[in-house]
Amino acid sequence: MAGGAGGVPYVELHCHSAYSFLDGVSLPQELAQRAGELGHVALALTDHNSVSGSMELAQTAAESGIRAIHGAEIDLTPDPESEGEGARDAAPVGFRRTDNPHVTLLVEDERGWRNLCRILTIAHSHTREGTARRELGEPQISPQDVAAHAEGLICLTGCAERSVLGEKGGPETLGALLDGFGPERLYAELQRPYARHDRARNRAFAARARRLGIRTVATGDVHAHSPSRAELQDAFVALRHRLTLDASEPLRRGNRSHVMSAPRAMASRFADHPEAVAETLRLAERLRFDLTKDLGYRYPGAEEQDASRRLAELCAQRLAERYGPDAPPRARAARGEAQARLEEELKVIDRLGLAGFFLLHHEMLELAREVAVEVRGPDSVRALLAPGRGRGSSVSSLVCYLTGLSHIDPIENGLTLGRFLHEDLHGLPDIDLDFPRDIRERLIPRVHERFGYDRAALVAAFPTFRVRGAVRELGKVLGLPPGEIERIARGADPWSPAGEHGEVDFASGRGGQDPAGGASDRRSERWRWLGRLVEEAQGLPRHLSQHSGGMIIATRPLIDCCPVVPAAMEGRQMVQWDKDSCADAGFLKIDLLGLGMLSAVERCVEEIHRGTGERIDLSRIPYDDPETFRAIRAADTVGVFQIESRAQMQSLLRTRPRNLEDLTIQVAIVRPGPIQGGAINPYIKRRQRLREAREGGFDYEIPYDHPSLEPVLKETLGTIIFQDQVMQVAEAFAGYAPGEADGLRRAMSRKRSAEMMERHRERFVEGAMSHSGASAEVAERVWNMVAGFAGFGFPKAHSAAFGLLAYQSTWLRVHHGPEFLCALLNEQPMGFYAPDSLVHEAENRGIAVLGLDVNASQVGCTVQNGAVRLGLGYIKGAAETEIAGLVAERERAGRYASIAEVAARSGCRRATLEALAWSGACDALLKKSHPPADRRSALWQLGIAAPAVTLEDEAGRERPAQQLALPLELPATPALRKLGRWQKLIADYSTSGVTIGDHAMAVLRERITAPKLATSAQLARLPSGCEVSVAGLVIARQRPGTANGTMFLLFEDEFGTVNLIVPREAYERRRHLARAEPLLLARGRLERHQEGARRVRWGVRDVEAPVREADGEEVRPVINVLVAELEPLERFLDGALAGEGEESVVRTLRPGQDEAAGAEVGSTMRAVAPPIQSFASGRRR
Amino acid sequence: MCSYGSETGVSRALNTPHPVRVRWGEGLPAEVDGEPVQALRESWLVEDRWWEAQPLRRRYWELTGERGRNLVVFHDLCTGRWYAQGA
Repeated sequence: MAGGAGGVPYVELHCHSAYSFLDGVSLPQELAQRAGELGHVALALTDHNSVSGSMELAQTAAESGIRAIHGAEIDLTPDPESEGEGARDAAPVGFRRTDNPHVTLLVEDERGWRNLCRILTIAHSHTREGTARRELGEPQISPQDVAAHAEGLICLTGCAERSVLGEKGGPETLGALLDGFGPERLYAELQRPYARHDRARNRAFAARARRLGIRTVATGDVHAHSPSRAELQDAFVALRHRLTLDASEPLRRGNRSHVMSAPRAMASRFADHPEAVAETLRLAERLRFDLTKDLGYRYPGAEEQDASRRLAELCAQRLAERYGPDAPPRARAARGEAQARLEEELKVIDRLGLAGFFLLHHEMLELAREVAVEVRGPDSVRALLAPGRGRGSSVSSLVCYLTGLSHIDPIENGLTLGRFLHEDLHGLPDIDLDFPRDIRERLIPRVHERFGYDRAALVAAFPTFRVRGAVRELGKVLGLPPGEIERIARGADPWSPAGEHGEVDFASGRGGQDPAGGASDRRSERWRWLGRLVEEAQGLPRHLSQHSGGMIIATRPLIDCCPVVPAAMEGRQMVQWDKDSCADAGFLKIDLLGLGMLSAVERCVEEIHRGTGERIDLSRIPYDDPETFRAIRAADTVGVFQIESRAQMQSLLRTRPRNLEDLTIQVAIVRPGPIQGGAINPYIKRRQRLREAREGGFDYEIPYDHPSLEPVLKETLGTIIFQDQVMQVAEAFAGYAPGEADGLRRAMSRKRSAEMMERHRERFVEGAMSHSGASAEVAERVWNMVAGFAGFGFPKAHSAAFGLLAYQSTWLRVHHGPEFLCALLNEQPMGFYAPDSLVHEAENRGIAVLGLDVNASQVGCTVQNGAVRLGLGYIKGAAETEIAGLVAERERAGRYASIAEVAARSGCRRATLEALAWSGACDALLKKSHPPADRRSALWQLGIAAPAVTLEDEAGRERPAQQLALPLELPATPALRKLGRWQKLIADYSTSGVTIGDHAMAVLRERITAPKLATSAQLARLPSGCEVSVAGLVIARQRPGTANGTMFLLFEDEFGTVNLIVPREAYERRRHLARAEPLLLARGRLERHQEGARRVRWGVRDVEAPVREADGEEVRPVINVLVAELEPLERFLDGALAGEGEESVVRTLRPGQDEAAGAEVGSTMRAVAPPIQSFASGRRR
Repeated sequence: MCSYGSETGVSRALNTPHPVRVRWGEGLPAEVDGEPVQALRESWLVEDRWWEAQPLRRRYWELTGERGRNLVVFHDLCTGRWYAQGA
């Protein structure tokens, strides 16, 4: 046996990662690491029709001590004479066919990589054809097309079952491959999966190879890096074929031979074919392509000769406009300064060779401007706003201001260039562009058109298995009862970070006293496996998807660098790499992001203009508005960008931001990185000390762990808050080279490898001691800060742009409250709060909100005489066209005079008419009637006026059956029982999801009999530490992975909100309540935090004196209720709600819904619940 | 625990494995129920039904006996026992 490198007898040349999607269960990094441990010297990654994992392997191979070899296993079109042909046509669309022949392609050199990318692009080009573009077709390519791209590639004949040498192949296929690759580069692939006919097959293949004059090579067809994942592979096979494990036996491998083995074990597996084993070494020697080397990617403008000149001209022209004779006086006065600053910036840009980069971004924005005019219409007040905005530190650059990337005048706002552009910048600065949603939708296809389909593509993304989805899919595969699976999936914490141990066990009744626990088979083997498989599947990529807006643009065809495949959305295509891989490849990624808040802000500006004629230019509002910052410091921020969440609001009360820089930090601070890195409390404390020192006129020195940290951590007071600071600390403190620091970032940001982190820890601590002369103790402490941060934070650039938008949205909220609320309601879903909560909070601030009205509401919400009128679009289940029709008819032929007229003229279906009546939209029509009537009468009248039968068309869809427009005279309504307050709430929540006026707690309040019950308003006046009960409607639930099992609840009552902290034990005891019940009562202890609070004697008691700042502004305390016990509120109600009676009305309107929600019969408590924000469904900002 | 088929059921499955004596040789069985093994035809591995209370873990050997018979035996990796199964 030929002893190769270091005497290793075998190199693995056929290996699948999880990027083979449901046919591989390990990440490339895991494979590389395990290969290193087992003593491999090289490893080839050959995923199915994909190189999505290649860059990850390339980047992690070296640290694992192996060399990466690249390739892919390709599906060929079936050979016309192969035996599998018949079955193929029977395969349903969307199934991965099981009988295409395969070949394994391995990359020898750069030409080979280019050809592989082209082959994969061709193989995928037809996968989104046909009617169902969302349904992914089968990638495949003809052997002739493969042969035409043979240069630089090695071709192996494919895996055992689908080898082109076997029955799936055929003479034509083999002939084409031999022609293309020749006997030197075509190899007969032998595998030994320990299936029954292995030996016979390998003998036959070897004989065939001899006849063809080609060599044999042994491969292992690895699908898992470790035995602990072996079972998951079986489950994935079943999942891929949409079968259960029991039913998929013929498709499984049937054993664990697909787990990676040591080289020696592999060599002995092929004891009958020593020449094939020896060939692996010789072949591996040939395959020297290194993916980490330059792929020849260039962004447009990168090599343009006169880019610098063009950029200078552009900027000079814009400077003349912005600071010239027609500019406002302040700008005119700053012209000289601007001129000098521009020259300085251009000099740096020229030296860095980045002129083309800025021109490209400028071009992108110009394109967006064209699109914006089309989308917004030429006269819209939105035209004042730039079509998009740069995120990040680019806002500090004058060049960016002049090219349109930023709309903040850096001169006027005194922004220094800082780190955005400096002489030793490595790589490209980070610029993301945010757009309102509607503009972005149109912009992306336009970019493809502008730069060419072969030169522009989106970045890929890989959705990973999360608990809920994994429970559903793997539960099905295990053949568990669907109802039980669903219950467990819903019971599982949707945001549970990483298969949090015991989550499934608990939900399936084995982890504690789940009250719903029951059926005996839950304890069976299959349930145990479900828990384990879900845990193993966590974080593995599930399928290929597109990144939200990252685009790669290149000067030469992208398909020379990376395969390009069609995306699910028409007119879009993407590369096979995600953002990390693209960054590793040195691709310039331009993020075109849709930001709900930008859309909302635009809507708001438009609404203000519509109502008052005022034209607001958000780039020219004052950035030091005292009222706005007062609101921010008082955490009066519901609805604004980023700083509106429960956690952000509590933090605002303590950090008390005073300017945009503070907001930049504020936006970044409530992130897992700073939280886990332990940055928050020190930052807040130090800020407080600084404030005290300033007011008291003494000095306070920030306690840096080491002097070398001061320059990099100065602005964050010695703590790590921004992602960029991790790398800066590694460089400044531990002497990392820039590239090395980037490796640290990588080790932290991807699925973390304990071993890799351990290696970095040693390197970091040693480096800190030798480079900075730090003591071991200090070095460890700083390392813990860095490791705790773990990359889960915002880069500063990002925070700066977000902080600005947070300010702008707060400014609008403070100065144009009704319009801002209106815009938020129209841009849903977005943000932290549901529409119902936004409305209640606004009402508490004194903003008038008016209900639905067929004669006053538009489709969307509008501001009418300073009040916000809800839009009829909020009616659930109504088609947009119906509502638009109703409004159009009113505008055409006048107001609706009666219910009969609504039925006759609006053209709405009966179900919609009923929902309108039940929502209260017809209340105004009944006001004048005698006796006074309410929604019940409206429903009754509709029963007569609306057509009784609904018609269905052939497809079973309900056809709009329109009442003829006859002047119907309705008979008098009989005396119906009056609609109670509680029934009105139920009606509101079941139709529009928003209630106005009476809060559920206001209705219930007088009936609650619980000791020490306090309202949200009373809490502020109670002393810290006292026992209280609070009752409320749950409007937010969070259980962050960083909180050790603690759950945070936000209660809303008729006066405001209450923060509740539910410790793990209390949560575990009442998990089902905490997760599902909308109305709760919590007993616990009041906690009040306030920096600088002093207790003073007041009468006979000690109380906390109000804290005031130097300028007299009162500091609001942070108030929480630390929960000892959660209870269903129902239990504390004196007198049943059934007194309001007539559940039947609700039940006939929402058949089945209450049952689905699990409501107990006779109780309507669950019907009063707004759709609260859930982090599982991924509410967007 | 590993096991196979029902031994007490009313119906009798065909091809039910029955225990055999196997003498182990160099990397493969040397003798099955006293009959020396002449040649190795195939060897395969079954590790399946892991989600059930009684998973399968068997190493199969298809051998040619001295008398020219085709012998299929398996080593139950859970119990360490040998069985013959059909031919």
